[in-house]
Amino acid sequence: MAREVPQFDTSIEIVTPENIAFRYRVAGPFRRLPAYLLDLLIRLGVFVGIFMIFMLLSCLGVLTPLGNFVTSLAYGATLVLWFAMSWFYGGLFETYWNGQTPGKRIMQVRVLTVTGQPIDGMQAVLRNVLRVVDMQPLVLCQLGLLASMLNDRFQRLGDLACGTMVVVEEKQWFHDVVRSGDPEVIRLAGLVPAAFLPSRSLTRALAMYVQRRGAFSVGRRFEIARHLAEPLRRRFDLPADTNLDLLLCGLYHRTFVTERQEQPIATGSPFLEPAEAMAQLDHGAVPPPAPTVAMNNVVEDGR
Amino acid sequence: MKVSELLESRRSNWSELERLCGTMEGSSRRKAPARTLTRFSTLYRAACADLALADAYQLPPGMVHYLHQLVGRAHNQLYRTRTFDTATWHQELLVKVPQRLYADNSLRLAFCIFWGVFLLAMLMAYTSPPFARQVLGSIFLEKLEEDFSKSVVNPGFGSAKAAFYIMHNTGIGLKCFAFGLLFGIGGLYMTISNAAMLGAAFGHMARLPGHRDHFFHFVTAHGPFELTAIVLSAAAGMRLGFALVETKGYTRAASLRRAAGQAMPTMCAAMLMFLLAALIEGFLSPSAAPYELKAAVAVVSAGILMYYFVILGYPRESG
Repeated sequence: MAREVPQFDTSIEIVTPENIAFRYRVAGPFRRLPAYLLDLLIRLGVFVGIFMIFMLLSCLGVLTPLGNFVTSLAYGATLVLWFAMSWFYGGLFETYWNGQTPGKRIMQVRVLTVTGQPIDGMQAVLRNVLRVVDMQPLVLCQLGLLASMLNDRFQRLGDLACGTMVVVEEKQWFHDVVRSGDPEVIRLAGLVPAAFLPSRSLTRALAMYVQRRGAFSVGRRFEIARHLAEPLRRRFDLPADTNLDLLLCGLYHRTFVTERQEQPIATGSPFLEPAEAMAQLDHGAVPPPAPTVAMNNVVEDGR
Repeated sequence: MKVSELLESRRSNWSELERLCGTMEGSSRRKAPARTLTRFSTLYRAACADLALADAYQLPPGMVHYLHQLVGRAHNQLYRTRTFDTATWHQELLVKVPQRLYADNSLRLAFCIFWGVFLLAMLMAYTSPPFARQVLGSIFLEKLEEDFSKSVVNPGFGSAKAAFYIMHNTGIGLKCFAFGLLFGIGGLYMTISNAAMLGAAFGHMARLPGHRDHFFHFVTAHGPFELTAIVLSAAAGMRLGFALVETKGYTRAASLRRAAGQAMPTMCAAMLMFLLAALIEGFLSPSAAPYELKAAVAVVSAGILMYYFVILGYPRESG
């Protein structure tokens, strides 16, 4: 199920049968064109290779009594192969390779239905047969390019007819928590009042800043950190010469890395095998939720 | 729980899921034992749960991004492409397609246009000699006259010829179908131009006494299947194009998708006919068989088509 939310970039949200919403990035023309050209190249290479083999066969055929028959068969097979590859190459690969052709696999894109489900054989074949129409030249560009510019999922006409789209499926590196060994950062982290609990948006801002600060010069870091760190410094009653950049790092360190008193969010681990989870339920081992620090915080502030 | 601690506990699971995704993407998927598959789905559900709780865990945005792509990748391996449903093919081709075509207005339209233009062009080429030259061009016409100036009996190279006709004619049929998508206009254009060219060639050949017998000796046997297949593919294409115009209350995209689901089996039937026509055209038409045999094949194939469209297609009460 695609959720009805206004979309403002190329990422779209899919809701799975497990009732989880996750995001895909839709593949644009600059990813799909190279994939198509790669497929064209592969097709041509395979065809030339097989053509050579058949030529060799038919040369051998001339020498034998069955010459005419073998030559005719080789010629016929080459033609049928050329026909099948020019019309059904994409459709068959997308059916049996789970929505990918070799070119699409290299460019890391995949065909899915607009609802994020896998496509079926009919859709795969139809969207590739209709490519002929998308390749029709218009005044300035191809028809398919124009069609894909006019909708928000970059669907060409073949995609619109089958209800499919192409999404990017990139392997991403795992972003670990930034661990700083700087003693100043750890000292500043200790100076943050124990009762201070950063809000959700503050947490997010901290993570984004610390993960990217390596790319900035020292002066620029100060400039960016100032807006957030200056009010925080005043609130924590820290001296005026505190390094604001490192203050944010300290807060990040306290939020993400070191101990803080807070109740565990997930009581049962989602990684338990079903049997274990049942056992846990049977013994009533799930602890009652403890009062949250956030609530304590409110009480203290109110005093 | 701290984020760093949480990550320590989850990291191995995520990287295991990532590794299993790699296995599932490759060809070793078929050899993977059942235990691996259940492990994969357990890990996938766990990653889903982590993603759902990412906000509550207050994970950094980079990590959330990583989880999104991990879950997406695993989702695509768990829910895989359905291949062709071969069990219902005969049901679709022999029951549903003829039933649908019997009541299909675009088939009637394509039929009328194709045969109307065909007969008109034939008549004009027969009565006025320059017409065929204007429609077909003199190069093509000279080639045609040369081909049929002698007997076409040439039994060798049957498979090569059949293959050529499969490629050439089915290609035309598929183009006819695809261009129907342009509001039916592209399909109309393809149908009319094909009909005019074929009609002109027929009329022109019928006018030349020396060529007439050779020509009809060649075209009779495969004619019914081939011409019907062209009409059928044009009709399937128009079905797509007209669905964009007359939406029956659906949105245009939804109407197009509905029509596409119906047009594809029709196109399969058309391709089957092209295949049969090509086999006849490659092996029987150029053979030395007597004209009576070729005419009999034409009558039988026309009979099969009538059976398919009228008897199988006649509306039934029981559906």
